Amino acid sequence: MNRTANSSARPLLRSFPTEYLGLTLALSALVGVFSLITDHFFSVTTFRTIANQIPSAVLVATAMTYLLVIAEIDLSVGSVLGFCSAVLGVAMTQWHWPLPLAVIGTIAAGLLCGAFNGLVSVHWRLPSFIVTLGMLEMARGAAHAVTRSQTQYIGSSVEAIAGTSICGLSLPFLLAMVIVVAAQLVLTRTVFGRYLVAIGTNAEAVRLSGIDPRPIKLAVFLLTGLLVALAAIIDTSRFQSANPNAGTGFELQAIAAAVIGGTSLMGGRGSVVPTLFGVLITAVLNTGLAAVGARDETKRLITGLVIIAAVILDQYRHRLGAKWKNS
Amino acid sequence: MLNRKVIYPTFVSTLATTLFFVAGCQRNDNSQSGTPGKPRVALVMKSLANEFFLTMESGARAHQKAHAAEYELLVNGIKDELDVSRQIDLVEQMIAQKVNAIVIAPADSKALVPVCKKAQQAGIVVVNIDNKFDDAVLGDSGLKLPFVGPDNRKGARAVGDLLAKKLKTGDQVAIVEGAPNAFNGLQRKAGFEDAMKAAGMNIVGSQSGYWETDKANPVVAAMLTEHPGLKALLCANDNMALGAVAALRAAGKQEQVLVVGYDGIGAVRQLLKEGNVLATADQHADQLAVFGIEYALEMLKTKSAPADRNTPVDVVSTP
Repeated sequence: MNRTANSSARPLLRSFPTEYLGLTLALSALVGVFSLITDHFFSVTTFRTIANQIPSAVLVATAMTYLLVIAEIDLSVGSVLGFCSAVLGVAMTQWHWPLPLAVIGTIAAGLLCGAFNGLVSVHWRLPSFIVTLGMLEMARGAAHAVTRSQTQYIGSSVEAIAGTSICGLSLPFLLAMVIVVAAQLVLTRTVFGRYLVAIGTNAEAVRLSGIDPRPIKLAVFLLTGLLVALAAIIDTSRFQSANPNAGTGFELQAIAAAVIGGTSLMGGRGSVVPTLFGVLITAVLNTGLAAVGARDETKRLITGLVIIAAVILDQYRHRLGAKWKNS
Repeated sequence: MLNRKVIYPTFVSTLATTLFFVAGCQRNDNSQSGTPGKPRVALVMKSLANEFFLTMESGARAHQKAHAAEYELLVNGIKDELDVSRQIDLVEQMIAQKVNAIVIAPADSKALVPVCKKAQQAGIVVVNIDNKFDDAVLGDSGLKLPFVGPDNRKGARAVGDLLAKKLKTGDQVAIVEGAPNAFNGLQRKAGFEDAMKAAGMNIVGSQSGYWETDKANPVVAAMLTEHPGLKALLCANDNMALGAVAALRAAGKQEQVLVVGYDGIGAVRQLLKEGNVLATADQHADQLAVFGIEYALEMLKTKSAPADRNTPVDVVSTP
């Protein structure tokens, strides 16, 4: 049986201890280690910094989780993020659009990329791996074409989005949390969510039972485009500038976060809240290693090891959970 | 899942179209080489996805347009700065094309040496720009190539010296490095260190921001938390300086910490005006490739022995 099916039978919060035990342990262990070996890691500043940094990664990883659940993938998220960021930057600095209009334009750009990925892979029944690999190149090319490869400095006119904070938490962070909760509920509590898991488990069976999986797949690709555009808006606002190389390698970060959270690359199994843990684990690791001042090669070695260790830990939790259920 | 009936024809037709276009381009090139006497210079660039190299390239193209009677220009670049093998292929293609001179910004200061030796043996004038070839490897292969370009270490030193004037002896500073395998990044780091050590500053951290805004930002944010007394950040390029400024803004430390960058890209000019970045170095990117091309043409004419030539680096600071 898969974990989403199990968790949906129980209320969201009561399942928390067993469901997220392994991940909570891994996260606390990391925080503990870094707090011990550095002077200022365990502080409100650190956690607020991390909270301000992760929203874009959370949004993209949430989208990636949905895609992996339906046994699809999107390798173009990083490039599309760069493209959306470029559109926002150029719209504001060169076309002199007002912020709301520029934001709408950016979202349109993201949706367009998502629609392309979805339509092409659904209509020609191509593996999304290939289609989005093509989009990875196209969107990066478009980002450079739009900006003429120049970083666009926007300035404080775009600050309002990331600069607004409520109770010390930034607007993007709150938005990301709302989206995580909503996405988790949709995945576990709605018919649409059931369809996603079913498509990822056996798309043919879904089709034979009279449900057309194509519009559902397309919807997930569109949702990905939307979330990536939002992530681009958040990051651009944070940096007050749009760099056409933004988001390079972001797709692997998002996939890693989802996989750390126990999402299967084969489809049919996955959940959004654990993906949030995945993002948190990588963010804490990055911040901690930078606080230690680790050498670059050490950083990479440790990051790779932690990803694998987190997945192994999660496997143990699975077996443990299965044992409890059987006894 | 994978529909062979669809993929195979699509793949074949795409491949055929690509080959057709490539063949078409090749024919085009050959027909141009017909003009006798006019030397053909190949400019082999690093990443054309990078603003700095793009500026170099457009400077070279503008120069060629203005001197169309003197030489022909072939510009080729690689997708990103890490695609070393593709750049080696490009040089080999240029040798096969029998160009008269190759002006190259090597993606790797060691791996490109053998193929450049091959070019020189084929009677082609090779000029090294932007990223200097490793002296030891050059010596090993008995190759002499002139380097025309800025002294990154000197430039970074000048930026650092200017920053030091705004600081007090013993102040905490940190360096945001470029990609760890980039020679110019290492040179800039060394130049920053020279300046800071000479002024008696305390370098508390030095980490890579991989040349990019979004990669440098979290690194800087973490360093700010870990070293609350930090007074200055020296960034090996301007994109990373943008990431550093964003981290300072988020931490509310813009008044306390000074930022310097390198390259003088357009985006940073605005930050200089606003006072959020103290200084950067302008290497006259639009002229860098031109210097190399002019030097190559000079060598073709005079058959002179190769010698290195330094190009100017200017410090640009808050007006």
